[in-house]
Amino acid sequence: MSRRPSGGRDWYKDAVFYEVHVKAFKDGNGDGIGDFSGLTARLDYLKDLGVDCLWILPMYASPLRDDGYDIADFHSIHPAYGTVEDFQKFLDEAHARGLRVIADLVMNHTSSAHPWFQASRSDPASPYADYYVWSDTDQRYREARVIFIDAEKTNWTFDPIRKAYYWHRFFGHQPDLNYDNPAVRAAMLDVMRFWLDRGLDGFRCDAVPYLVEREGTNCENLPETHAVLREFRRVIDHEYGGDRVLLAEANQWPEDVRQYFGDGDEFHMAFHFPLMPRIYMAVRLEERLPIVDIFTQTPALPPSAQWCLFLRNHDELTLEMVTNEERAFMYYAYAQDPEMKLNLGIRRRLAPLLDNDRRRIELLNSLLLTLPGSPIVYYGDEIGMGDNVHLGDRDGVRTPMQWSPDRNAGFSAADESKLYLPVITDPVHGYQTVNVAAQARTPSSLLNTMKRLIAARRSSPAFGRGAIEFLRPRNQRILAYLRQHGRDTLLIVNNLAGSSQPVELDLRALAGCTPVEILGQSRFPPIRETPYVLSLGPHGYYWFRIERPDGGDEPYGIERTAI
Amino acid sequence: MTDAGQAPPPPPELDSQLAALVPCEIVVGLPTYNNAGTVPAVAAAVRVGLAAHFADVSAALVNVDAGSMDQTPELLAAEAGMSVVLARHEAPSVERAAVPFHGVPGRDAALRVLFDVARRLNARVLVLLEADVTSVTEAWIERLARPVWEAKADLVSPVYVRHRHEGTMTNLILAPLVRTLFGRRLRQPFGGAFAVSRHLLDHVLAHPLRPTTGRDRMDLWLTGTAIADGFAVWEAWLGPRHVESRTRTTDLPTMLAQSLGAVFTVMDRDAEFWLGVTGSEPLSTVGERARPPAALGTVSAERMIDAFRRGMRDLVEVWELILAPETLGRVLSLDMRDVATCRFPDRLWAHVVFDFALGHHHGVVHREHLLRSLVPLYLGRTAAFVATTQSTDEVGTDAALERVGAAFEAQKLYLTERWR
Repeated sequence: MSRRPSGGRDWYKDAVFYEVHVKAFKDGNGDGIGDFSGLTARLDYLKDLGVDCLWILPMYASPLRDDGYDIADFHSIHPAYGTVEDFQKFLDEAHARGLRVIADLVMNHTSSAHPWFQASRSDPASPYADYYVWSDTDQRYREARVIFIDAEKTNWTFDPIRKAYYWHRFFGHQPDLNYDNPAVRAAMLDVMRFWLDRGLDGFRCDAVPYLVEREGTNCENLPETHAVLREFRRVIDHEYGGDRVLLAEANQWPEDVRQYFGDGDEFHMAFHFPLMPRIYMAVRLEERLPIVDIFTQTPALPPSAQWCLFLRNHDELTLEMVTNEERAFMYYAYAQDPEMKLNLGIRRRLAPLLDNDRRRIELLNSLLLTLPGSPIVYYGDEIGMGDNVHLGDRDGVRTPMQWSPDRNAGFSAADESKLYLPVITDPVHGYQTVNVAAQARTPSSLLNTMKRLIAARRSSPAFGRGAIEFLRPRNQRILAYLRQHGRDTLLIVNNLAGSSQPVELDLRALAGCTPVEILGQSRFPPIRETPYVLSLGPHGYYWFRIERPDGGDEPYGIERTAI
Repeated sequence: MTDAGQAPPPPPELDSQLAALVPCEIVVGLPTYNNAGTVPAVAAAVRVGLAAHFADVSAALVNVDAGSMDQTPELLAAEAGMSVVLARHEAPSVERAAVPFHGVPGRDAALRVLFDVARRLNARVLVLLEADVTSVTEAWIERLARPVWEAKADLVSPVYVRHRHEGTMTNLILAPLVRTLFGRRLRQPFGGAFAVSRHLLDHVLAHPLRPTTGRDRMDLWLTGTAIADGFAVWEAWLGPRHVESRTRTTDLPTMLAQSLGAVFTVMDRDAEFWLGVTGSEPLSTVGERARPPAALGTVSAERMIDAFRRGMRDLVEVWELILAPETLGRVLSLDMRDVATCRFPDRLWAHVVFDFALGHHHGVVHREHLLRSLVPLYLGRTAAFVATTQSTDEVGTDAALERVGAAFEAQKLYLTERWR
């Protein structure tokens, strides 16, 4: 195992995450599919981008009927991506660059091709017989909703071999594991140990609300599920020193997600699903209420816990956590082509969702990097990659990374027809226009702007750890907030509107202080008792560090000469 | 929003500038970042100092800039009145956004460029100054450069004359720690300025472990290498050091995290410098110690004690992870109710700092937070120092600081036994 990056147990609170699919990033062996050797070769790019931790989508052996979320062997790497040795080399090289790595882990279910399921269905006397949720009837747990409503009509599927129904909250080829069985819990812990022993920095745990089923409930967020998760956390903390992170995928309302942090003894982090669609709504409505409102409804977290924020990911832009009225508005605003809708979501990437409007792309990234939580950047969004809604399922947002204007976007030396998915070639987002090589050479490119924003985010721990206080200027198109951590105060001002806006901020509590714009180091006029007047260009944003006057900055009288 | 700043175009290629210069015997290096307000005074001191003390010696002023947006390099070139080389060095955006305690984003990169230029100009002496220190006089050039010029020293480190309440971070943490590590009683290890010989430059430029990445490590590594490899290290008494900067951080936690973080990093990466060192020796000095200046402002020991108490309230859970149980127990039982009577024993203080060094080494807590969580303890120690030296003179203050250094040195075994 390599030497893992140093740092304390709560390193994730200051980290910027980067979500990447092995198959999509770089093909190292020329077979048309990205792999670990390719990803390893591109680690310097990620280091240069300034991210701290990579989140690797499922990399395990799988029939790939759900892009790897149908795992057939938890202990091996999918052959197209490489071997466990390749993974180890990748992990060591990442650690050598100070980058951490977490990997997706599907805890709720396996592929129906998994040997556990095959043994379970074929031999009721086998040790695996009770590894899955079997029933003689499909009438149990009727209050549980069907999640993939476009593909599945029910959560039960009849297995002709065992002659019984098995439970699945997702696709029929993904039978749910039976977490009431202690052997399943022990087996899953062994899976985690297998990767943690190799130095992995943690897991993004997929679909955690559904681990346990109980009659008369909707089978989500049950106390028994939380008990299982707390057991896992306790064991991992005890055996691995407490700095491996567990990130929950729980697409639920904030008060339900809050339970997944427990008393600081369950998950370290969880995605803030409801925030993300409301960011888009706020920008489309040119009105701050949706964002302020969802934070008002967001409960406080235990000290060690942290939200994970994202603008886009490998799934559709999920609208599960919005009201029907909000959902209709979102479809109207962002997905007028019916092809763009999928399940309860929109399958677009960031740039096309925003009509490739550079100002709005920057604004949303400003929000991502300054609202409370640790941000996740989805691969390719840092250069404004496009999507292809005509590819099936969610493949449209999982196309090859666009490295250069060369053949196959510099992603692979394979014949074009062998690529796992075609590269984006449309005139606006195509790889000839949008690629890393071109943007690296252009100082004002989105890529270089992202680097500057991520670097600026490192200048204060208040970005990752600070409390938030929303300001309430009369102009509803301005979203302004203070982030406070220790003696560090940040003032963030965002113009949600596509037109220039004035704003008067009540900053009396900071009278005498001077806002210093972080990216340009420009000193703005000092704050006084009167309203602080700013004007912002269309979708403009300011990140200010609040500099206190000499007296306020030097409470002890030793500061200027301490060294 | 504002853009990242409209930096002026880069200076002409370094190679062509150097080709136009004859070899120089003295190179004065000046790293800068938005110092337009102070560089004229610094340039004038350099010009006068060289004319007064090294009249017939060829010299050049080499500016290495981090991307100033106030035309610092242009102003310097106009004011210098001597051969000037203008160079740029890499400065991470994060350090330009929040300028470190020493005032120069990417200082290590600046030093690397300077070392390289000085060597290419075949300089016998490289003198490094700070662009925002306005109290620099012509005498500083003489005192820093002369021991090297006369081949007595390979590295000359500055000692500024300070009021007893100035430099508390240096006096109570950095200097005792560096003394313990390197076995030399270096009084101000982060003095900013220094002079270095060609002999030592050749050595460090060829050194396989010369830092090529990272931040704020080069100054200490240079000193460590010079001492470990038997070069002559001297100190030069300079006058008071007045800094006029609008960009240097004055946030104590940040200053502590950066300066002590640099020492801890050197401890981690260059353990061969210090693990086998025992005892310490004073350094040869040049120049006279002037009368210390009056206090610059009002020191508030009451606020320091308040901060210590807040730390006791809020940070004990973090300290539990860092401090040895017996150290924490003794810290928690300190009587810090009153400024007049507060005390912080030197031996306990040495254990506190060593426990933090060990915690940093073993990565028990996020390193930035570890370093920042030392601040209340440092303020408690400083309050006790202020209390015990309130009515002492210079000699008494020196004696108190010597006791701190001696306590660190005496406890070194505590550190080395727990290091591996």
